[in-house]
Amino acid sequence: MGSRRTLRWLVGGPPFLFLVVFFLLPALIMVVASFRYPGEFGGLAPLFGARPGEDSGLTAESYRVFFGDWVYFEIFAKSFGVAGLTTLVCLLMAYPLAALIARRPKTERNLMVLLVVLPFASNFLVRVYAWMIILGPFDLLFNRFAVICGMVYVHLPFMILPLYTNLEKHDPVLLDAAQDLGANAWQRFWRVTFPLSLPGIFSGSALVFIPVLGMFAIPEILGGKDDWIVGNMIKESFLGTRDWPFGSMLSLMLTVAVLAVAGATSWLAARGMRRA
Amino acid sequence: MRRLALAVEGLAIAVLFGSFLASGGKTVLAGAAFSLLGLAFALGLAGQRGELERFWLWFASLLVYAFLYIPLIIVVIFSFNDSKLNAEWVGFTTDWYAKLFADQEMLHAALNSVTIACVASLIATVLGTMAGISMHRFKPRLLPFLVFTPVAMPEILLGVSLLIFFLNTARPLLGAFGIEMGLGLTTVVIAHITFCIGFVAIIVRARLAGMDESIFEAARDLGATPWQTFRLVTLPLILPGVIAGALMAFTLSIDDFVITFFTSGVGTKTLPLEIYTMIKVAVTPEVNAVSALLMVLTLAMIVTASRLAPDLMRAKA
Amino acid sequence: MLRRASRSLLAAALALAAGAAFGASQDVLRMFNWNNYMTDDAVTRFEALCNCRLVQDYYSDNEEMLAKLAAGATGYDLIVPTGNAVEALIKSGQLRPIDKSKIPNLKNIRPEYLNTWFDPGNRYSVPYAYSLTIIGYNVEKMRALGLPTDTWAVIFEPRYLEKVKGKVTVLDSQRELFAAALKYLGYSVNESSEEKLKQARDLILRAKPYWAALNAASYFKELTVGNIWLVQGYSNDLYTAQQDAKKAGRAFTIAYSTPKEGAVFALDNLVIDKSGKRPDLAQMFMNYWLEGRASAELTNLIGAGNPNKASLPLIDPQIARNEAIFPDAENFKHLEMLRDYDRRTRRMLNRLWVEIKVR
Repeated sequence: MGSRRTLRWLVGGPPFLFLVVFFLLPALIMVVASFRYPGEFGGLAPLFGARPGEDSGLTAESYRVFFGDWVYFEIFAKSFGVAGLTTLVCLLMAYPLAALIARRPKTERNLMVLLVVLPFASNFLVRVYAWMIILGPFDLLFNRFAVICGMVYVHLPFMILPLYTNLEKHDPVLLDAAQDLGANAWQRFWRVTFPLSLPGIFSGSALVFIPVLGMFAIPEILGGKDDWIVGNMIKESFLGTRDWPFGSMLSLMLTVAVLAVAGATSWLAARGMRRA
Repeated sequence: MRRLALAVEGLAIAVLFGSFLASGGKTVLAGAAFSLLGLAFALGLAGQRGELERFWLWFASLLVYAFLYIPLIIVVIFSFNDSKLNAEWVGFTTDWYAKLFADQEMLHAALNSVTIACVASLIATVLGTMAGISMHRFKPRLLPFLVFTPVAMPEILLGVSLLIFFLNTARPLLGAFGIEMGLGLTTVVIAHITFCIGFVAIIVRARLAGMDESIFEAARDLGATPWQTFRLVTLPLILPGVIAGALMAFTLSIDDFVITFFTSGVGTKTLPLEIYTMIKVAVTPEVNAVSALLMVLTLAMIVTASRLAPDLMRAKA
Repeated sequence: MLRRASRSLLAAALALAAGAAFGASQDVLRMFNWNNYMTDDAVTRFEALCNCRLVQDYYSDNEEMLAKLAAGATGYDLIVPTGNAVEALIKSGQLRPIDKSKIPNLKNIRPEYLNTWFDPGNRYSVPYAYSLTIIGYNVEKMRALGLPTDTWAVIFEPRYLEKVKGKVTVLDSQRELFAAALKYLGYSVNESSEEKLKQARDLILRAKPYWAALNAASYFKELTVGNIWLVQGYSNDLYTAQQDAKKAGRAFTIAYSTPKEGAVFALDNLVIDKSGKRPDLAQMFMNYWLEGRASAELTNLIGAGNPNKASLPLIDPQIARNEAIFPDAENFKHLEMLRDYDRRTRRMLNRLWVEIKVR
């Protein structure tokens, strides 16, 4: 039907167009930018028609620098470490709360979920600033501990909500059956609840791990001299050292890392589901 | 018994928190000790097995809630602190709020934030609703990827790619036509729309998915054109979701820091950017005051949004 | 309902946008300046003089300013870049030449600050103020620990640093930190040989474990409060810290000194950006500033170095005698201005900087 096709383009067209121009295109431009030379005073050098003495055209120089030096690998490893630790702490803190909310009667549940989301009502920077006030008097500021505190604090709701959504769907009959078969509290948790909640754990972990990899504000505000991660390096490339090709290359590497994590998470989630 | 344990826990938290007001440092250790005492007491009371499991759940959950809220409460309380350095509590004053309203830079930034949020959430809602409907009805292949990726990936990537795009592509391109362009309100609005579309689309699509298809078929059988179906059937049904999406988009836009950081130009200070500068350079309780007010505003938004779409939270996951 | 809601939202948005646009059409002079680099009084007097509004945006580092400009920050009328940044801006064609006939007060500047290497003939810039990057310290603590205060060694040598571990900060600026290290090693601050820069990096990495932080924006506050005892900092920041500590009645005093190995001398200048909309107001401001009273106020308030003859009678004699603020000929020999690196050296420096931040 011709009219169905026009309808499809009418409805889906504008958002599609908008996103192609303002999301896909910039992404592709960034990929190309990673293969260019930095401009003499910052930004990017022109692709064609350079003035004498300037470089132009494409080069893999940024990539050569990146892969030729251990220090960049160290930064990525450190970023993964921070992200992993944050995810773990979030998981440990979120699980009991999500479990509790899932078991309450329906009327209370919405209120409790709302209470979880409300701190989100404060601005992200405010939530970070709050930790400056708390940790300052203890001299615990400007070190890795402070950074993890800030990261966990900002990302905790992202772990609680998917976990809760998953736990809520668990059929209590399963737990009763387990109890009838003689399982104690710990066994009931470990062999029934936990495996069933794996998809929730994985999606919550992805929602925490991935944003943490790209953060720069928290390490900058709460961190000390040792706490640079990938996000800081990218920011510094664009707004500090004016080396845009390098920053673009780093962003691409970060995207690859993010895709790898997302892929691993869905693969693990699928496996977890099959087992349960 | 459980209630008593909870009451003791609550008391411990109150003491901890009150000791902050007295002065930082050692009194908090006392509060922590109190807390442990309360814990031991409660443990002793909740001796039975079943009680223990439930008790642990409650205890852990309350700790998490406290963890979430205490920092924010402290921010609000310290906004009344009569001390420029804001390192310890000195006295009560509402001066900082007065200063806030006299601060031209801050008011200008607030105006920018609200303007951007209004325009961006409006356009994002329209585009996001269209995207949500399209994904539900026509199941396109590329659109979901385009819509959801900006939501899932780290914000810095979006900010940086838009920076390059605006300055290295858009500016020379428009310059060739004689249009001068720089980073400013427009670029920030465009950036915000890009990541807000996804949120609205998710909500709308979830709402549509939960609906009975037969209603649309009935409308079609009765001879309604697609536009009529949309206006008289679809729209009223998804309206709560659309409005919830609009409010979410508004909140996200007002709160956004990272993307705005990269795409803003001269004179386009927004509130989060202003707060960031203040935090890095001169932290006075004025920051607390503006944060407290922002909290109230976004709180109202979120509560309204949740009333309109209770499945909003689950739809996200 | 949606239609009504969307209509009113649209109306509100348009009204707000109109309001914002209207607000912008008033006479506004936009300035990109360092933090704390102008007194409120000076701003008010200028606004009365020109019948306009002066709006400032701030930066705390030349690199930050250049990066923002390279990233397309347009619309500033006046910028206050340091010498090497002026060179970069001139070369990239971003500056508007000044009309000296509109700036008669230029004659007030001492000749040694005119005709600089970065702008011969002052075609684009006039001097604003200057500062040195030196050492600031808590007098009582340093005396008690028996540490020298006239050499960079106290920032870089572990045998001194041991005694002040965790109580030292340095500037979070690539060029400034490397400059201090290079000076200590006896090289020029504009050294670009990879080998010598790597020596500087090793020196920094060796000292880094003893430092509390790399901080360029709020370090002197920590010094004032007493949490930090030794800093690498800008002379005007350190003067402010000294005065603040006195005013707050602290039990200690802050002092500062120029290390004998030498230091970075930064001459900040007023320049007009081509993309600015009000070059006329910009030139008016330049003349206003060169008259001398506003800059004398700045010197009295924050101890900024002042190249203006006409300001001298208005400056507090205590400050005028201070060698760190008004260096004499002897000191001048060891002071150096930073020059911008070419992009290869810049990239090499970035890599070394990443190592410093990570290891």
